[in-house]
Amino acid sequence: MTDEAPEAPRAAPAPELEAWEVFRQEKDGDPMRHGGSVMAPDAELAAHYAREMFGRRQESVRLWVVRRADVVDLDDPDLLQPPLDRSFKKPGGYVMREKLAAARAQAGQPKPKARSS
Amino acid sequence: VSPVAAPPDTATALAELLRSMADDEFVIGFSDSEWTGIAPLLEEDVAMSSLAQDELGHAAALYGLLAELTGTDADSLAYDREPADYRHCRLLDHGRGDWAMTIARRFLYDSADVVRLEALAEGSWAPLAELVGKLLREELYHRMHAGAWLDRLARTAGEPRDRLLAALAELAPDAATVFTPLPAEPALLEAGVLATPMTVLERRWRETVEPVFVHLDLPMPPEAREPDRGRLDHGEAFRWLWGEFTSVRRSDPGAIW
Repeated sequence: MTDEAPEAPRAAPAPELEAWEVFRQEKDGDPMRHGGSVMAPDAELAAHYAREMFGRRQESVRLWVVRRADVVDLDDPDLLQPPLDRSFKKPGGYVMREKLAAARAQAGQPKPKARSS
Repeated sequence: VSPVAAPPDTATALAELLRSMADDEFVIGFSDSEWTGIAPLLEEDVAMSSLAQDELGHAAALYGLLAELTGTDADSLAYDREPADYRHCRLLDHGRGDWAMTIARRFLYDSADVVRLEALAEGSWAPLAELVGKLLREELYHRMHAGAWLDRLARTAGEPRDRLLAALAELAPDAATVFTPLPAEPALLEAGVLATPMTVLERRWRETVEPVFVHLDLPMPPEAREPDRGRLDHGEAFRWLWGEFTSVRRSDPGAIW
């Protein structure tokens, strides 16, 4: 709010709601994960509603609220699921297990425990 | 010594202050909770319900402090009094009304409540000053929410602005009742619980809201109609609300929930 001259009321627009995508961070250092979406007429109320839907139980330390229309959407199968065999681009062809075991034995190190996610 | 103890003469004055603040939060929280299920948007329904819960949480904390101070019970304070014994301000006695009424009431009350809380945060009674510090942090969001809606209604010509002006015409003459001086005010000032007289807080509140009202071309709230009776004489709208919020409690007196 400012103390400028009064602003003339604008004509009533149809209250158009649009979708906003909400990403949330559960604790400091965590990645931002998609939480869901809210419907709101503008960024200000979208932030309020995101806070209520994804933060009111103290389950988030940060929220990102993004207009769905601003998201670059990529789902073209020619780009993401090309028809020819691309298995050679996956690392599955290279079996590392024995090489790693041999290297550990040489260095005298035990196998590390699985990382908890 | 209990951390909530206070000298006997101060304790009586403190009890009066806590009761007025707790009743304010309880009544506005309960009034706003009436939107649950019928707010204008689904998202707003959740937001307003959550806000109402926040206010009831503030009331519970204040009643809890009052109960510790006076050796009573918070539920009993909230539910077992007659309507005439509540000390909320007259601003909250108008019934829910339409959405514009709710927004106007929220804006007027929240803007005044923040000024009151800021003054109490500097007060000498640690249990209250500490609690008030926490309440203030939650009020930030309440003010943002009410401010966003006030702006939206005021700046949209036609029905939205007309309804807001009608709501302000009804509510604004009672806005300053948040600062109705309590009979105990001299004792509170003497003890330093209240660092600043309510009349000064009212002026401070007018200074904070004036730029908003000027910017949105809305009339400034007038002086309170009956400054001394601002927390008395609750009318029919409150009797109805009281009937609602005590109905479950009265359905089985003494039951343990």
